[in-house]
Amino acid sequence: MATQIVMDRTGDTRHTFDIHDRAEVQKAERRFLELTGAGFTAAVRSGPGEQRVIRAFDPTAEETLFYPRLVGG
Amino acid sequence: MTQEIVLAICSFVLALLGTLLLSALSLVVARSGSCSRSFRFETEARALTLLKGWLSPKQRACYERFRYFDVVGSHTGTRYRIHHGTQTNIEELNGTGHHVCKWCFVPDGDLVAGDVMLAQKIALETNERGALAVAHRSFVSSGPRRF
Repeated sequence: MATQIVMDRTGDTRHTFDIHDRAEVQKAERRFLELTGAGFTAAVRSGPGEQRVIRAFDPTAEETLFYPRLVGG
Repeated sequence: MTQEIVLAICSFVLALLGTLLLSALSLVVARSGSCSRSFRFETEARALTLLKGWLSPKQRACYERFRYFDVVGSHTGTRYRIHHGTQTNIEELNGTGHHVCKWCFVPDGDLVAGDVMLAQKIALETNERGALAVAHRSFVSSGPRRF
Protein backbone atom coordinates (compact mmCIF):
# COMPACT_ATOMS: atom_id res chain seq x y z
CA MET A 1 0.00 0.00 0.00
CA ALA A 2 1.12 3.55 -0.72
CA THR A 3 -0.15 6.85 0.65
CA GLN A 4 -0.56 10.30 -0.80
CA ILE A 5 -0.68 12.96 1.91
CA VAL A 6 -2.14 16.30 0.93
CA MET A 7 -1.70 19.22 3.31
CA ASP A 8 -4.90 21.15 3.90
CA ARG A 9 -6.83 23.03 6.56
CA THR A 10 -7.58 19.82 8.43
CA GLY A 11 -3.84 19.15 8.78
CA ASP A 12 -3.77 16.68 5.92
CA THR A 13 -5.93 14.35 3.87
CA ARG A 14 -4.59 10.87 3.13
CA HIS A 15 -5.30 8.76 0.07
CA THR A 16 -4.15 5.18 0.28
CA PHE A 17 -3.87 2.96 -2.77
CA ASP A 18 -2.75 -0.56 -3.60
CA ILE A 19 0.32 -0.36 -5.84
CA HIS A 20 -0.69 -3.70 -7.41
CA ASP A 21 -4.14 -2.48 -8.39
CA ARG A 22 -3.93 -0.84 -11.83
CA ALA A 23 -7.12 1.19 -11.44
CA GLU A 24 -6.06 2.56 -8.07
CA VAL A 25 -2.61 3.43 -9.38
CA GLN A 26 -4.17 5.29 -12.32
CA LYS A 27 -6.42 7.19 -9.93
CA ALA A 28 -3.41 8.08 -7.78
CA GLU A 29 -1.52 9.25 -10.86
CA ARG A 30 -4.45 11.48 -11.86
CA ARG A 31 -4.47 12.95 -8.37
CA PHE A 32 -0.73 13.56 -8.62
CA LEU A 33 -1.14 15.40 -11.92
CA GLU A 34 -4.09 17.43 -10.65
CA LEU A 35 -2.28 18.52 -7.51
CA THR A 36 1.05 19.34 -9.13
CA GLY A 37 -0.84 21.09 -11.93
CA ALA A 38 -2.53 23.23 -9.29
CA GLY A 39 0.84 24.29 -7.88
CA PHE A 40 1.39 21.69 -5.18
CA THR A 41 4.92 20.37 -4.66
CA ALA A 42 5.30 16.60 -4.29
CA ALA A 43 8.03 15.18 -2.08
CA VAL A 44 9.06 11.71 -1.01
CA ARG A 45 11.32 10.65 1.82
CA SER A 46 14.75 9.45 0.77
CA GLY A 47 16.21 8.80 4.21
CA PRO A 48 15.81 9.83 7.84
CA GLY A 49 15.04 13.54 7.72
CA GLU A 50 15.87 13.64 4.02
CA GLN A 51 13.55 14.08 1.10
CA ARG A 52 13.51 14.76 -2.61
CA VAL A 53 11.02 16.63 -4.73
CA ILE A 54 9.51 14.57 -7.54
CA ARG A 55 8.14 15.97 -10.80
CA ALA A 56 6.66 12.71 -12.08
CA PHE A 57 4.36 10.23 -10.42
CA ASP A 58 6.22 7.45 -8.62
CA PRO A 59 3.88 4.51 -7.93
CA THR A 60 6.53 2.78 -5.85
CA ALA A 61 6.88 5.64 -3.36
CA GLU A 62 5.53 4.49 -0.04
CA GLU A 63 4.55 8.01 0.97
CA THR A 64 4.21 11.11 -1.18
CA LEU A 65 3.61 14.45 0.50
CA PHE A 66 1.97 17.38 -1.28
CA TYR A 67 2.18 20.93 -0.01
CA PRO A 68 0.59 24.01 -1.61
CA ARG A 69 2.44 26.64 -3.63
CA LEU A 70 4.74 28.81 -1.52
CA VAL A 71 3.98 32.48 -1.09
CA GLY A 72 5.73 35.32 0.72
CA GLY A 73 4.32 35.65 4.21
CA MET B 1 -58.17 46.56 35.55
CA THR B 2 -58.46 43.28 33.60
CA GLN B 3 -56.58 44.85 30.67
CA GLU B 4 -53.72 45.83 32.97
CA ILE B 5 -53.46 42.27 34.27
CA VAL B 6 -53.41 40.85 30.73
CA LEU B 7 -50.79 43.38 29.71
CA ALA B 8 -48.62 42.49 32.69
CA ILE B 9 -48.91 38.77 31.95
CA CYS B 10 -48.04 39.35 28.27
CA SER B 11 -45.00 41.44 29.24
CA PHE B 12 -43.85 38.75 31.65
CA VAL B 13 -44.26 36.01 29.03
CA LEU B 14 -42.39 38.07 26.43
CA ALA B 15 -39.54 38.78 28.84
CA LEU B 16 -39.36 35.08 29.71
CA LEU B 17 -39.26 34.09 26.04
CA GLY B 18 -36.56 36.68 25.35
CA THR B 19 -34.42 35.35 28.21
CA LEU B 20 -34.83 31.75 27.02
CA LEU B 21 -33.93 32.73 23.46
CA LEU B 22 -30.80 34.57 24.60
CA SER B 23 -29.73 31.62 26.75
CA ALA B 24 -30.17 29.20 23.86
CA LEU B 25 -28.20 31.50 21.57
CA SER B 26 -25.33 31.80 24.08
CA LEU B 27 -25.23 28.02 24.39
CA VAL B 28 -25.02 27.56 20.62
CA VAL B 29 -22.25 30.14 20.32
CA ALA B 30 -20.29 28.60 23.21
CA ARG B 31 -20.60 25.09 21.76
CA SER B 32 -19.57 26.31 18.33
CA GLY B 33 -16.46 27.98 19.78
CA SER B 34 -15.61 24.87 21.77
CA CYS B 35 -15.95 22.62 18.68
CA SER B 36 -13.82 25.03 16.68
CA ARG B 37 -11.09 25.04 19.36
CA SER B 38 -11.20 21.26 19.57
CA PHE B 39 -10.96 20.93 15.77
CA ARG B 40 -8.01 23.33 15.68
CA PHE B 41 -6.26 21.40 18.46
CA GLU B 42 -6.68 18.08 16.61
CA THR B 43 -5.47 19.66 13.37
CA GLU B 44 -2.38 21.09 15.08
CA ALA B 45 -1.62 17.73 16.70
CA ARG B 46 -1.97 15.83 13.41
CA ALA B 47 0.29 18.29 11.59
CA LEU B 48 2.95 18.09 14.31
CA THR B 49 2.92 14.30 14.14
CA LEU B 50 3.44 14.52 10.39
CA LEU B 51 6.26 17.05 10.82
CA LYS B 52 8.10 14.92 13.38
CA GLY B 53 7.89 11.94 11.04
CA TRP B 54 9.80 13.89 8.39
CA LEU B 55 12.43 15.44 10.66
CA SER B 56 15.83 13.83 11.15
CA PRO B 57 16.43 12.45 14.66
CA LYS B 58 18.61 15.47 15.43
CA GLN B 59 16.03 17.96 14.16
CA ARG B 60 13.26 16.18 16.05
CA ALA B 61 15.20 16.19 19.31
CA CYS B 62 15.98 19.88 18.88
CA TYR B 63 12.38 20.75 18.07
CA GLU B 64 11.02 18.82 21.04
CA ARG B 65 13.42 20.60 23.37
CA PHE B 66 13.51 24.14 21.97
CA ARG B 67 10.54 24.37 19.58
CA TYR B 68 12.88 25.05 16.65
CA PHE B 69 15.12 23.01 14.37
CA ASP B 70 17.89 23.84 11.90
CA VAL B 71 18.04 23.07 8.20
CA VAL B 72 20.79 23.59 5.62
CA GLY B 73 19.94 25.36 2.37
CA SER B 74 20.28 23.14 -0.67
CA HIS B 75 22.12 25.68 -2.83
CA THR B 76 24.27 27.80 -0.53
CA GLY B 77 24.74 25.57 2.50
CA THR B 78 23.41 28.41 4.66
CA ARG B 79 21.95 27.38 8.00
CA TYR B 80 18.37 28.38 8.75
CA ARG B 81 16.51 28.00 12.01
CA ILE B 82 12.82 27.22 11.68
CA HIS B 83 10.96 28.27 14.80
CA HIS B 84 7.54 26.95 15.72
CA GLY B 85 5.06 29.26 14.04
CA THR B 86 3.48 30.29 10.80
CA GLN B 87 4.87 33.77 10.12
CA THR B 88 8.37 35.23 9.90
CA ASN B 89 9.56 32.14 11.76
CA ILE B 90 12.69 31.40 9.72
CA GLU B 91 15.96 32.82 10.92
CA GLU B 92 19.08 32.87 8.75
CA LEU B 93 22.27 32.24 10.71
CA ASN B 94 25.84 33.02 9.72
CA GLY B 95 28.82 30.71 10.06
CA THR B 96 29.25 31.59 13.72
CA GLY B 97 25.61 31.02 14.55
CA HIS B 98 24.66 34.67 14.72
CA HIS B 99 21.35 36.03 13.52
CA VAL B 100 21.56 37.51 10.01
CA CYS B 101 17.94 38.14 9.10
CA LYS B 102 14.49 36.62 9.07
CA TRP B 103 12.63 35.08 6.15
CA CYS B 104 8.94 34.58 5.67
CA PHE B 105 7.35 32.25 3.16
CA VAL B 106 4.49 29.85 3.74
CA PRO B 107 2.47 27.33 1.79
CA ASP B 108 -0.65 28.96 0.38
CA GLY B 109 -3.82 28.42 2.41
CA ASP B 110 -4.63 28.61 6.07
CA LEU B 111 -2.37 25.80 7.27
CA VAL B 112 -1.35 25.12 10.85
CA ALA B 113 2.18 25.45 12.22
CA GLY B 114 3.25 21.82 11.78
CA ASP B 115 2.37 21.83 8.10
CA VAL B 116 3.91 25.25 7.51
CA MET B 117 7.22 24.25 9.15
CA LEU B 118 7.37 20.98 7.20
CA ALA B 119 6.81 22.75 3.88
CA GLN B 120 9.50 25.31 4.84
CA LYS B 121 11.97 22.53 5.73
CA ILE B 122 11.43 20.65 2.47
CA ALA B 123 11.59 23.83 0.41
CA LEU B 124 14.87 25.04 1.96
CA GLU B 125 16.50 21.62 1.85
CA THR B 126 15.51 20.87 -1.76
CA ASN B 127 15.01 24.21 -3.48
CA GLU B 128 16.48 26.98 -1.36
CA ARG B 129 16.64 29.58 -4.16
CA GLY B 130 13.09 28.94 -5.25
CA ALA B 131 11.82 29.31 -1.70
CA LEU B 132 13.74 32.50 -1.01
CA ALA B 133 12.66 33.96 -4.35
CA VAL B 134 9.08 34.23 -3.08
CA ALA B 135 10.01 35.00 0.54
CA HIS B 136 9.96 38.31 2.36
CA ARG B 137 13.15 39.24 4.14
CA SER B 138 13.26 41.16 7.37
CA PHE B 139 16.26 42.62 9.13
CA VAL B 140 14.42 43.46 12.33
CA SER B 141 16.17 41.76 15.21
CA SER B 142 15.99 41.86 18.95
CA GLY B 143 19.76 42.24 19.02
CA PRO B 144 22.77 40.04 18.38
CA ARG B 145 22.04 36.43 19.22
CA ARG B 146 24.24 33.41 19.13
CA PHE B 147 22.86 29.90 18.80
